[in-house]
Amino acid sequence: MIWRKLKLLWPPQRRAQEREMREELESLAGMATRGELGNLTLAAENARQTWSWTWLDGILADFRYAFRALRNQPGFVAVAVISLALGIGANSAVFSFADALLLRPLPVSSPSEVLTVSNATPGNPGEGMSYPDYLDLREKNHSFAGLVAYRLIPLGASSTTSEPPQMRLGILVSDNYFGALGVAPAYGRTFLPEEANANGNPVAIFAYDYWKNQYQSDASVVGRSLRLNGVAFTIIGVAPVSFTGLDRFVRPSIYVPLSTWRRLDGADDPLENRARHELTVKGRLHPDASRESAQAELSTLAQNLEAAYPKTNHNRRAAVRTEMETRILQTPRQVGLITTMMGLVGLVLIIACSNVASLLLARARARSREIAVRLAIGASRLRLVRQLMTESLIVALLGGAVGVLVAYGGIAFLGTLNVPSDIPFVLGVQLDTRVMLFSLLAALASCLFFGLAPAFQTVRADLVPALKSGGEAISTRRRLLGRNALVVGQIAFAMVLLVATGMFLDAFRKMLTIQPSFRTDHLISMEVNPSVRHYSPEHTYDFYRSLADRTRSLAGVRSVAMAESIPLSPTQTTLAVVPEGYQFPKGQEKVTVFGGVFDDSYFNTMNVEILRGRAFTASDRMGTPLVAIVNDQFAKTYWPNQNAIGKLLRLERADSPAAEVVGVAKTGPYLIVNESPAPYVYLPYEQRRRTRMTLIVQSHGDPSALATSLRNVVHKLDANLPIYNLRTVASLYENRATGTWLTYLQMIAAMGFIGLILATAGLYGLISYSVSRRTAEIGVRIAIGASRTDVLRLVLRQGIILATAGIAIGGILVAALTPAVAANFLGVGTFNLSNYVMVPAILLAISAAASYLPARRAARLDPIRALRCE
Amino acid sequence: MDLLQGTLDMLVLRTLGLGPLHGYGIAKAIRSTSRDALEIEFGSLYPALKRLELQGWIASKWETSGHNRRAKTYRLTPAGRKHLTREHSKWTEFVHAIGRVMGPAPREVKG
Repeated sequence: MIWRKLKLLWPPQRRAQEREMREELESLAGMATRGELGNLTLAAENARQTWSWTWLDGILADFRYAFRALRNQPGFVAVAVISLALGIGANSAVFSFADALLLRPLPVSSPSEVLTVSNATPGNPGEGMSYPDYLDLREKNHSFAGLVAYRLIPLGASSTTSEPPQMRLGILVSDNYFGALGVAPAYGRTFLPEEANANGNPVAIFAYDYWKNQYQSDASVVGRSLRLNGVAFTIIGVAPVSFTGLDRFVRPSIYVPLSTWRRLDGADDPLENRARHELTVKGRLHPDASRESAQAELSTLAQNLEAAYPKTNHNRRAAVRTEMETRILQTPRQVGLITTMMGLVGLVLIIACSNVASLLLARARARSREIAVRLAIGASRLRLVRQLMTESLIVALLGGAVGVLVAYGGIAFLGTLNVPSDIPFVLGVQLDTRVMLFSLLAALASCLFFGLAPAFQTVRADLVPALKSGGEAISTRRRLLGRNALVVGQIAFAMVLLVATGMFLDAFRKMLTIQPSFRTDHLISMEVNPSVRHYSPEHTYDFYRSLADRTRSLAGVRSVAMAESIPLSPTQTTLAVVPEGYQFPKGQEKVTVFGGVFDDSYFNTMNVEILRGRAFTASDRMGTPLVAIVNDQFAKTYWPNQNAIGKLLRLERADSPAAEVVGVAKTGPYLIVNESPAPYVYLPYEQRRRTRMTLIVQSHGDPSALATSLRNVVHKLDANLPIYNLRTVASLYENRATGTWLTYLQMIAAMGFIGLILATAGLYGLISYSVSRRTAEIGVRIAIGASRTDVLRLVLRQGIILATAGIAIGGILVAALTPAVAANFLGVGTFNLSNYVMVPAILLAISAAASYLPARRAARLDPIRALRCE
Repeated sequence: MDLLQGTLDMLVLRTLGLGPLHGYGIAKAIRSTSRDALEIEFGSLYPALKRLELQGWIASKWETSGHNRRAKTYRLTPAGRKHLTREHSKWTEFVHAIGRVMGPAPREVKG
């Protein structure tokens, strides 16, 4: 029925229907006696109504009329569409960024049912969970329909034993991972419960992208075998294209069951160890449970675990969080960034909408006669509002459509943001349906914002005077008051945007002047991970010693050092330490700080200054007293006003062996360049051997020239060992220090610029309009002796008064908002006088320039002609 | 006699249930079956036909009648027949219900 009716919307169908009906009625009239059938025209009219879409026809008529009306004012349409496109486009671009960082739901069915369960300890509210704890919770809880656990793991993947392995990001998952998340495989099957068993067959599932890129979407890979870290796995399936994993920033390539953890990692059995809190646990809430009930139940279960295993589970609570809460907890800085950006870009849209509203108010006068005529011949005011809103809607939709193009540019720009690592970190900033939808909503909201008030204003026209003179129907004063307020608001918001830009520029300039507390030149670094080859601890140690020795003997190498992590690398290692004599708050007994394991040539090679005491030496070996070096910030935080040298430091627990602090190193940035000073602990490699180390090589000449020989050294030692993150320290530093910030700065500067342009256009439009309204008045003034300068001053004064009001209000807004912005960004928001002097000065100058053009026009008026036009 | 609201559709379907007819024929058939009690306005019959056709309950076809005259005839579709059955039983129920309430005609009481 709907379909049949819809078909009749198609004009040719409708015409055919019309013809049929005429023929039929004629044939019937021939049969009946004259007049027997009554009024046939009326019958046809009523019949027509059965297939007409009255309301739709009305809307179509509205659109047709609106298009006709808009075609006559291309200037207005162009300005309005460009304004809106800039506003909406900027918003959509920032939205895509927010979506990638925070908003996009998990790629699973009913994502809102999926909650995160983590351990909450006094030092860390979102810590991971151990496998035995996970199993206990999974078995005993009734709140979740399925509780899954996973952990990322680096995998060296090769198809055959002879081929050198490629470093891939793998993910260990519980057997119920795909089932509980509601993810069906694209090919093959998912894991079986028996594959969760530690002796189960090693099986693997490919992520869709990996399969597509590495195996050219060949469905016959299912059933084939693959070597991961030297273990033969059978490929049993391919995940669907929609499923990209549960992490926002990394997309694992290969899924393997948690049961293969020990075989892949080679260490002691991580599945038995209740102290390895390394699993992320998420669960799908049972239909009968709520988040609160789940939290209550898991708290009880965690308390039971604490009672049963006091050693490993002391002070370990369970925390149930929504995905959004988890994301905010994990990346508070990004959330701050997003909130600030969304706020600023919202101001841009408000400024853009104000421009359009202002233009519409100006048109209201021009149209008052047309409106009055339509009112006079019986159109209802509401009907006219609908008509005007249709015009606004068309403008808004056009603006939204062009805005998507603007957003496309912005997104391409944001896409250049990257994290320096071989493991693919993805910032999924993309122009997808969600962004399109957002643009559409932004366009509709803008339409209401800029269209509604002017529409009602326009139809409020008083009939008689409007019809009589075509002139004033609404008092000019009231209409100007509205426009004045809009322009003042625009300037105020532009001021906020510019001050924000200034603040970021300031912070950026300061960052460029930060001197890192370590060398960045003539250094190249490389990571290897022998754990993928199942070396014994001794073998690993020998491997690193030969690696360092052979590298040292390469031509062009000045020195070689080994570090567990290098400063500013995105993956920083941490240590849980107990500083001697430090009083922790109740319930806490250790603190997690940045730190790692370093060899004795590290401080020299990286040029990390030792402020007091000494660096590690060759005599800090296995068997000699344990030593440690802390940075200045650590000494200040945990041993204030004391000499840190000679203090004792323990790892993990208060009863573990103590290391004596032998040196204090200079505090440097560790994760990001402008971080607040963070405590750091260095431990000697010889006393705390690790399997995963970074080799740092200082060169005589260009460090990047050493890349090939470094590869060769590793290849000769073990051809099957993957190398990754081979890069110069300078490139890492540049990316971390300036790359990301430059992108943010450019974005915010673009917003400030767009805001300024739009606000200036608004002011110019208003002053021009008011000059054209006052032509007669200015004519009189000139006629009775006002000089050109007087007129110039008169008009300029109006612009300056508006600008000053805007700047004053903007100043208040800035004062109110700065603390919020400063709290979100380190190094931003510190008081900078030049910022608060420059921005108002710039705004005032631009406002004066925008008012000057119409003012000059007014001053050049020919009084005779001006008076005649009255 | 005026028609009750909504009964015209039912009458048309019932009439076409006996065989295909053109628009004028339907009007005549209803009048004669009701022994001239129901006078169908063509002005309301015609839109009703279009409405029923749009619903898919009747279908139309151009045919040439015995006097070599082209006319559009309407016939009941299977969907229409089903609808008619439903309407018919509803109508029967309705008539009985009204009948029970009204009872035999009351005698006039002089006050």
